[in-house]
Amino acid sequence: MGKALETKELVKWYGKEVLALNKVTFDIDAGDFFVIVGPSGCGKSTLLKIIAGILDYDSGKLYINGVDMKGVPSYKRDVSMMLEMYALFPHMNVFDNVAFGLRMLGKDKSEIEKEVKEALRLVGLAGLEKRMPLELSGGQRQRVALARALVINPSVLLLDEPLSHVDYRLQRKLMEDLKEIHRKVGNTFILTTHVQEHALSLADTVMVMNTGVIEQIGKPEEVYTTPATVFAARFVGEINLFSAQIKSWDGGLCYLTTDIGELKANPKNKNTLPSSGKVAYAIRPEYVKIGEEARLCDNKTEAKLVSYYYFGHYMEYVFEAIGNTKIKVSVPTEKVGNLTLGSTYLLGWSAKDVLLIERPCMIEGLNIEEVIYGK
Amino acid sequence: MGWGDRLAKVYIALIILFIYIPTFFMIALSFKSGAKVSFPIEGFTWDWYVKPPTGYEYSAYISIMHDKNFFTALNNSLFVSIVTALLTCLLVTTTALALRKKIVGRDLLFYLFLLGFIVPGVALGLGVTFMFRLFGIESSLLAVAAIVTVYTVPFGLILMMSRFDPELATYEYAASVLKASPLSVFRRITFPLIIFEVISAAIMGFLLSWGEIIRTQFVMKGMGTLATYIRNELSINPITPKWFAAGTIIAIIAFVGLAIFAYIMSRRVR
Amino acid sequence: MSTLQLKMGLTDRVAKYSRYLLLLPGFVLLLLFLLIPLSMIVGISFFERFTVTGPENLTLKNYVAFFTSPQTPVILLNTFGMSLLACLIAFLLGYPMAYFLVFRVKSARVRFFVVSLLLVPFLIDWSVRVVAWLPILGESGIINYALMSWGVIKEPLELLFGRSALLIIWPQTYLLWMIFPSYLALTRIDPDIINAAKVLKAPPHRVFFDITFKLSLPGVVMGFIFVFVSALGDYVTPALWAGGIQTLGLSVANYAANFVWPYAAALSTILVAIALLILYVLLKVVDIKKLVY
Repeated sequence: MGKALETKELVKWYGKEVLALNKVTFDIDAGDFFVIVGPSGCGKSTLLKIIAGILDYDSGKLYINGVDMKGVPSYKRDVSMMLEMYALFPHMNVFDNVAFGLRMLGKDKSEIEKEVKEALRLVGLAGLEKRMPLELSGGQRQRVALARALVINPSVLLLDEPLSHVDYRLQRKLMEDLKEIHRKVGNTFILTTHVQEHALSLADTVMVMNTGVIEQIGKPEEVYTTPATVFAARFVGEINLFSAQIKSWDGGLCYLTTDIGELKANPKNKNTLPSSGKVAYAIRPEYVKIGEEARLCDNKTEAKLVSYYYFGHYMEYVFEAIGNTKIKVSVPTEKVGNLTLGSTYLLGWSAKDVLLIERPCMIEGLNIEEVIYGK
Repeated sequence: MGWGDRLAKVYIALIILFIYIPTFFMIALSFKSGAKVSFPIEGFTWDWYVKPPTGYEYSAYISIMHDKNFFTALNNSLFVSIVTALLTCLLVTTTALALRKKIVGRDLLFYLFLLGFIVPGVALGLGVTFMFRLFGIESSLLAVAAIVTVYTVPFGLILMMSRFDPELATYEYAASVLKASPLSVFRRITFPLIIFEVISAAIMGFLLSWGEIIRTQFVMKGMGTLATYIRNELSINPITPKWFAAGTIIAIIAFVGLAIFAYIMSRRVR
Repeated sequence: MSTLQLKMGLTDRVAKYSRYLLLLPGFVLLLLFLLIPLSMIVGISFFERFTVTGPENLTLKNYVAFFTSPQTPVILLNTFGMSLLACLIAFLLGYPMAYFLVFRVKSARVRFFVVSLLLVPFLIDWSVRVVAWLPILGESGIINYALMSWGVIKEPLELLFGRSALLIIWPQTYLLWMIFPSYLALTRIDPDIINAAKVLKAPPHRVFFDITFKLSLPGVVMGFIFVFVSALGDYVTPALWAGGIQTLGLSVANYAANFVWPYAAALSTILVAIALLILYVLLKVVDIKKLVY
């Protein structure tokens, strides 16, 4: 499979103060659904604009379909983009908005008509051709923007925060549609989001970014189960983190001193870990057992129930262990027992479900505790 | 409707009245039969508009429709104002489009353009007189238009820049990602989106140059624009209702023009 | 698509530097009709004579003459005092107008209609507009006529031809200059900011002074500058209507008319310098760039 996009050590400065991209190197397979996730200000939007050619980069290399993009103006690139606030041309109706790119490509009238119709059908907006952007709802605008970007059939389609400015229902609907459209058209999709659930459920490949650097690239399951850094672990999914000191190794089993006492771990990435030193001890909330079930686990601690959040299909409990360390536990709704706030329960988890993460994040000089607990 | 809205309505009406007071008197007195501009108005006449000249009057007593100088000045005024309007809209558009982006020395340039208005007219007029004198340039209506444009551009610039859609740059990016070449982006996106401001700038250039007198008076020797012609006539000859007739004619032309413009523009205002 | 076609064409290059190219026409105009004339004024003000062959004899005499003349304080007071008063009157009349237009006139059509209405008298010839005050304020104008026929006064009042004339004619002529930027600044205020202040229990006068007025200051300052420099540069009105009250602008015109070029240049330089100084002070107080960027 060919590469749709390659970057080598891309660097982008805003003025002299802000380093938006710090030697970003990655590549994307043709036909991939690639999702860039990170907090606002992490550089994902900058990266997208650089790929689109709206912004220029300061150094490094950018290849689209194997062609160096230095100095190639936006309109000559084989990409298309759905901008964050959609940027529907206010003086054109829906049809003209969608037809714009096709007209620029010099297609003939009947062909344009056919393709616009098809694109609008694909996004579920057939019949709204004559409407002006101001007369559309937020969801409809979003779909026009998607149709407009799709219709020119670029080999790379960039979607900048497409899910961020509509309500939850529309987000879900668009996620389903995006997946289906991606399967149908087979182009490379690059999407940015700051919401980890979107990244995990949409992507073939996820890239986690943090202030201009890549934290991790991988399949959603990979990133979730073996986060490369504490930052990636925290950003993708909920996780309990304790700062820990490795005491000793016994075969595959690691003994550690943590904030909440002596704990064991049997991590999947044991080959890459050091024999001693500081690490982050991490356990996902769904692996923590409560009460009877906890007795059988090889890691145990007592903790007081201080809060809970009901999410419909699961319940998240928040416990407080020694030293006011919070431990989150999520339980599927059908398994929820009768717990009382303020009572103390036994929590336990298996050593094989534990992750040990050595690097706080990819940026040098950050303290692991700072990344775990915030500054 | 609260008392605040009532107060607002009354106030707006009063200000309009204040601005229109001279206009009312101007129209009323243009039909006065005596030559003295005073009250009461005794008798009604069209003489100041259309009475054929006998050939022996002072210019102040020739009816306006038979005053050749008036029409020469009107022609000059129209020429200066139209050229100024075109120059203003061209320069304001290009400059506003350039200053919209973050460029080196943007603030300095903005202030420099503002300077065109800040420098008192009499000083600029003198400066241009010097320049023409030193380089042996003859003053002309075209030069008048250029000097007046220096003074109209800052107004247009402020108007246009403050009314630019903040999303304009985003629309342009969107278009260029959708395969539009720089030329197409300008033709299909930028220009249609700013056309209202471009026209406004032209009209503003026209209005400002139409009334401009200080710079024109200083630079133009001989037959100038309407404004300088009437001003000179008024300062050396007796003031007669003739000039009110002239003002009324200009007002009617202006009103019709502005009404047409307002009608066209109001269709765009939602 | 071959690699060659992908590269920047001529139009792309032009487009890339368009922001600088676009500045060119405006800058050429500024250079020819603002910067060069301005430097000529300043230059010639330091010479004794300006003949057909050029300026002669470098000197500071013009400035010394101006600052030692007993008339100078009167002229300066007339010039700046009257201009500032005109500004103030224009502000007091114009700002409420702009405020009401923005916040009390709900319909955009009505607003547009009113603004158009304000423009119409503006198109009438300036001199005629001024002369039209004659039948109102003049010796035999309607006010004197009415007052005399009611027996209130015996002798006509000197309303026109004097300082009061400037304070009627200037604000009326330049009222739009005040309304227009204030209006622009007021429309740029996010109504939610005002709502937020109301929700936070601010009484109406605090909402106005602490929020609305402060946020519209760039426009007000712009209006002040507009009216102020218009009045400063206007020598026609003082000459014609204020009975020849000596202002700096009028002096420039008089000396220029008598071909005393260097002295006129020195007066102009002082006029420009003071205008710039006042502008600088105002800009220190308020960032008028907020109005446009």
